[in-house]
Amino acid sequence: MATTYSKTTLSANKPRRWFWQRTHTRRITRSIAFYAFISPWLIGFVLLGIIPLAVGILASFTNYDGINVETVKWLGSRNYSRVFNDSEAIYAFQRTLLWSALNVPIWLVVSFTLALILNQGIKARGFFRTLFYLPSIIPVVAVVWAWRLLLDPNNGVLNAIISIFRPGTAILWTTEYALPSLTAISVWKGAGVGMVIFLAGLQGIPRELEEAAVIDGATRLRVFLHVTIPLMTPVIFFQLILGIIGSLQQFDLPVLLAGGRIGSVPPRATYFYVVHTMQQIFTFSRFGYGLALMWLLFVVIVIFTVIVFRTSRYWVYYEVEAKGEGK
Amino acid sequence: MSALSPVQRRDSRRKRIRQGFAYVILYVTAFLLAVPIIWVILSSFKAESEYVKYPPQVLPNPFVWDNYVHALTWIPFFQFAWNSTFLATVFSTLTVVTSAMVGFAFARLEAPGKGRLFGIVVSLLMVPAIVTIIPQFVLFARLHLTNTYWPWVLWGVSASPFHIFLFRQFFTGVPKELEDAAEVDGAGPFRIFWQIFLPNAQPALATSFILNFVGVWGDWLAPIIYLDVKKTTLAVKLATATYSNPGDPTSQILVTITLAAAVIYTIPPVVMFFLAQRNIMEGVVTTGLK
Repeated sequence: MATTYSKTTLSANKPRRWFWQRTHTRRITRSIAFYAFISPWLIGFVLLGIIPLAVGILASFTNYDGINVETVKWLGSRNYSRVFNDSEAIYAFQRTLLWSALNVPIWLVVSFTLALILNQGIKARGFFRTLFYLPSIIPVVAVVWAWRLLLDPNNGVLNAIISIFRPGTAILWTTEYALPSLTAISVWKGAGVGMVIFLAGLQGIPRELEEAAVIDGATRLRVFLHVTIPLMTPVIFFQLILGIIGSLQQFDLPVLLAGGRIGSVPPRATYFYVVHTMQQIFTFSRFGYGLALMWLLFVVIVIFTVIVFRTSRYWVYYEVEAKGEGK
Repeated sequence: MSALSPVQRRDSRRKRIRQGFAYVILYVTAFLLAVPIIWVILSSFKAESEYVKYPPQVLPNPFVWDNYVHALTWIPFFQFAWNSTFLATVFSTLTVVTSAMVGFAFARLEAPGKGRLFGIVVSLLMVPAIVTIIPQFVLFARLHLTNTYWPWVLWGVSASPFHIFLFRQFFTGVPKELEDAAEVDGAGPFRIFWQIFLPNAQPALATSFILNFVGVWGDWLAPIIYLDVKKTTLAVKLATATYSNPGDPTSQILVTITLAAAVIYTIPPVVMFFLAQRNIMEGVVTTGLK
């Protein structure tokens, strides 16, 4: 920069140092500005993120009951070993895995299918997109009321409709069939969000690619399997991770459906892991144990995320091949 | 039309059939999605005696408009609505401003450590909410901030990773010339942000505000954990059927009035969504796709 300048001028050092100082102080003020701007988040991240988490980790090794600090005793890893002997926790974890295995694929397929259909040059696309997105805006408390009316075993709409074909049907949707019912509610509420993101991904696929494949004589199915799906894998990958994280920590739907109080106990079919955790904390005041349960769930979520990330290199197509190799 | 070859004509006919098929699926899906909403609205106009009848009748007969009057008067509805509004407004206003600031810094300012800090923001998008909610509750309880609205204020001030990301994406797209001209005039980063970027960010501001507002308005978990029955929000109040006739000591719990209350409670987020739906969906897409 200033080096060519210094050769031609006698008092080269002066402007050079001045220039250097100027850029240097400018860089410092810029850095200060950057940190001043992000300080709300940074301070919040430390005070409401790191500190509670550190406290939470420490408390998970104690018998903390949420109120009394004087009686807190260090239990070492006892809370953690207790989880593996807690048959309710293991049962709840199995139910959560089953629920995730049901909910995530159905949600992905439904929202992807809706996006594909809307991408067929539909004229009223905006109308349908808005309509399908609407359930995700409705507060979960109201959603649960709407579905209670449909699923009620005594005077619910669903049983009334089935009774037209099979009189006297009284299926216990909210207890015996709670898992499929919950999946229906969850997909109903979440499909619109998934669809909007898939639709944006589909519109990002260059038209020429699909058209070129058609001209080469590929059938629609082949174009879909070999052009559309591979190009959509980054979006599917992202949605899959979000879906797994969300499903494993499902809590409010079963509890709201079971009565809507923090201590409401859902039926066995939807007694999920976080429900069990919240029970331990708020019903039995076992904060230390509840936090241990929570941390183990966090570890499981991290493991799932890492598995999806690690396997992504085999099925996620990145346009820049070199980058895809590295991921 | 006559210029089309037989093959083209066949293809366009196939396309029309395919589109017709697509429309059928779309209308059926739309109907299925709408059924729960329509049904809850219809039921909110039914008399309690009609609501419990089986098989259920589709249309309310007679229309009981009084359900809506009772929904507003039999409990201090407006008190809870105010609590919801207050929390949602305070939180959203704070978090929109701070998220915009942080997003601006990540989009437009330079400093050592910026890349790493942004990495933290992105990885925080992935952290499950359930991990922080209990440790934070333990902390706030120790500070005697439970049953106050301070947690929402503090959450608001500390911005949210999702919205930081939204604003960063938005501000990255603003042309550099705007800022250069202001810099020549001697404006510092704070003035550039406040006088140039913020006023030009209306779509992002509206999206962020509405998403936050709808989020707090609909949130049931945080208020039920933190707040007692007086300070709580509509979400907690309406999670259980709490209506019974105050003039009649033998009155049962009346579901249809709770349904009417739930319908009223749903109106603000839905109206907000319709006001800004295009921006909202674009916002969801930018943060969803990266």
